[in-house]
Amino acid sequence: MQIIEEIKKNELVGNPTEIQKICLNKLKLNPLPNVKSELWRLSNKSKFSSFLDYSHKNKESKIKLPYENESQNVVRLIIGENSIINLEGENYSIRKLEDSQIIDYIKKNISNFDQNDNWSDLLNHCLCSKKNILGLNISGNKIPPIEIFSASSSESFNAKTLIVFFEKNCKVDLSQINLGNQNSSLSQSTYLCLESNSSVNHGVVSYGENKSNLLNSLNIVQKAKSEYSLGSLHFKYNFARFELRINQLEGDAKTIIKGVQITKNNDQIATYTKMRFNGPNGKFDQINKSLADDKSHAVFEGAIIVPKIAQKTDASQLSRNLLLSKNAKVDTKPQLEIVADDVKCKHGATISQLNDEELFYMRSRGLTLSEASKLQLSSYFQEIIACIPIPKNRWDLLDKLLTEN
Amino acid sequence: MQSKKKELNPILEVNNLFASTEDLPILKGVTISVHPGEIHAIMGRNGCGKSTLSKIIAGHPSYTITKGEIKFSGQDIQSLEPEKRAQSGIFLGFQYPIEIPGVSNLEFLRVATNARRKFLKKEELDTFDFEDLVKEKLDLVKMDSAFLSRSINQGFSGGEKKRNEILQMALLEPKIAILDETDSGLDIDALRIVASGIKKISNHETGIILITHYQRLLDEIKPDYVHVMADGQIIKTGESDLALELEKHGYEWTDNFSKQYR
Repeated sequence: MQIIEEIKKNELVGNPTEIQKICLNKLKLNPLPNVKSELWRLSNKSKFSSFLDYSHKNKESKIKLPYENESQNVVRLIIGENSIINLEGENYSIRKLEDSQIIDYIKKNISNFDQNDNWSDLLNHCLCSKKNILGLNISGNKIPPIEIFSASSSESFNAKTLIVFFEKNCKVDLSQINLGNQNSSLSQSTYLCLESNSSVNHGVVSYGENKSNLLNSLNIVQKAKSEYSLGSLHFKYNFARFELRINQLEGDAKTIIKGVQITKNNDQIATYTKMRFNGPNGKFDQINKSLADDKSHAVFEGAIIVPKIAQKTDASQLSRNLLLSKNAKVDTKPQLEIVADDVKCKHGATISQLNDEELFYMRSRGLTLSEASKLQLSSYFQEIIACIPIPKNRWDLLDKLLTEN
Repeated sequence: MQSKKKELNPILEVNNLFASTEDLPILKGVTISVHPGEIHAIMGRNGCGKSTLSKIIAGHPSYTITKGEIKFSGQDIQSLEPEKRAQSGIFLGFQYPIEIPGVSNLEFLRVATNARRKFLKKEELDTFDFEDLVKEKLDLVKMDSAFLSRSINQGFSGGEKKRNEILQMALLEPKIAILDETDSGLDIDALRIVASGIKKISNHETGIILITHYQRLLDEIKPDYVHVMADGQIIKTGESDLALELEKHGYEWTDNFSKQYR
């Protein structure tokens, strides 16, 4: 693990920035996460090692986008490629954050980081050059949909960071597409800060190619009366971790999370979510689905944390898993940590196989077993996919990808 | 059993069929023969094997045929997958149509219809042509086109589900339709709609098996033959009057036949 060796020697990057120095120092003593901790114990060690083994030289090839034509109605941004972004419309503005704002924000976050919980972000900030940090400030309520691409180059380890501040009363659809090229690792850290009364409809679609790896960390901070909705899809990765941390700073906000991960072959894809309420009247609704085929492994671990201050919290977390082969494996663990005594919290998990009666019903109408299975599978993740705010003209590709997989 | 149309070969022949599920024998020697244009009714107590018979004919993988044969258009279909049976013209109307959330009813119907059309060497229909066809068929069962955009049977009332089954039958134009308690859960109006749809779809080339508990469906669709099933066997066969007798005396009346049969 070349990266770890270089962290130990504190020579991971030449001429490090202030942020990189801080993070290198933080990681120097314990360069790897504690693999015995709940957050990391199920991570496949060999795959995690391969994630770290790609050259960290950060080869930067131009991203080949899956959508050929740019739509006039969509704001498209590519992390690492867009230098000047200042868009003003009649009712909105999308501005790039000043370097000093970005540094201050990351420094503030790092100071609160737990070495283990936030290891992915620490690594990201060690490796992410200034060019690969995109910071945005968005305001207004008639904002065109925004899509942001992040990608790893072939035979490379790339780190990308996205920070977005959503101003008060802002309302926007934001889709994030993470692409993994062959034999590559992508570390993507995202920070979304929702001011009060803002509403963000967020989609995350991550898919890779042969032997691509992903460490996708998403940190959400919500102020009162804000609404955050996420639809996420992760598939086609040799190894992927999706870490989602949401903090309702003052409670009284609404969070809806719908995610699906599809694993095949020998893949491992894991989703970790931590929902924290720091005030009363917060609402949270999560459903996470896994589809595991062949010899693959899907993991879900979720935690809802409700301290005493978070009275009247209404939270639900459901993990639904479908095993498509005898050799596939699913680990799931939804958890509640409740101190407040006047709350409604529930959680649950199911692991099942394809429904034989549904299959027979479709076959009795002339659909082959393969067609019926595909329809049943697509119905399984349709509930989630429908929440991803990807413009209609982009769906063809996603449909194709999902059908092929 | 004598066929009314001896000159035609039977569409479906079930000969001395024994079947079980998880080593539990359910069918214990069923024989029935359906010719084109004939309507047969099968009646019997709950658990006598009526639904099992229908599922076995349709190819449900949970059941094992231990003895006997099923011939469709003269060919033994025991080794055929359910989809091959459906494509070749066997239709099963489910007693409890399955809800499949997330799968569009319209798309499902289109794929199913095209599978049948492909077998019949007819041109497959694209979305637009299929919509024209399906709208025409919707009238047969007085269904609103809004049902098409919903997931298969999801949120449908009992009557709507049964009408959706008959819509599928209309689209697939089967050679034989086995309708398993299509009348259950229907109010009088819905029953008439469903019965009228079945009558319009059936023709001199179609064979129909109605599985039912009640005379009321048979008041709408007069069967040529009525079979009484008990304990995995057909214990009596008669014409439509037999159903009236059953309605009058109840199934206890058939216990004597059952004893005689044994």
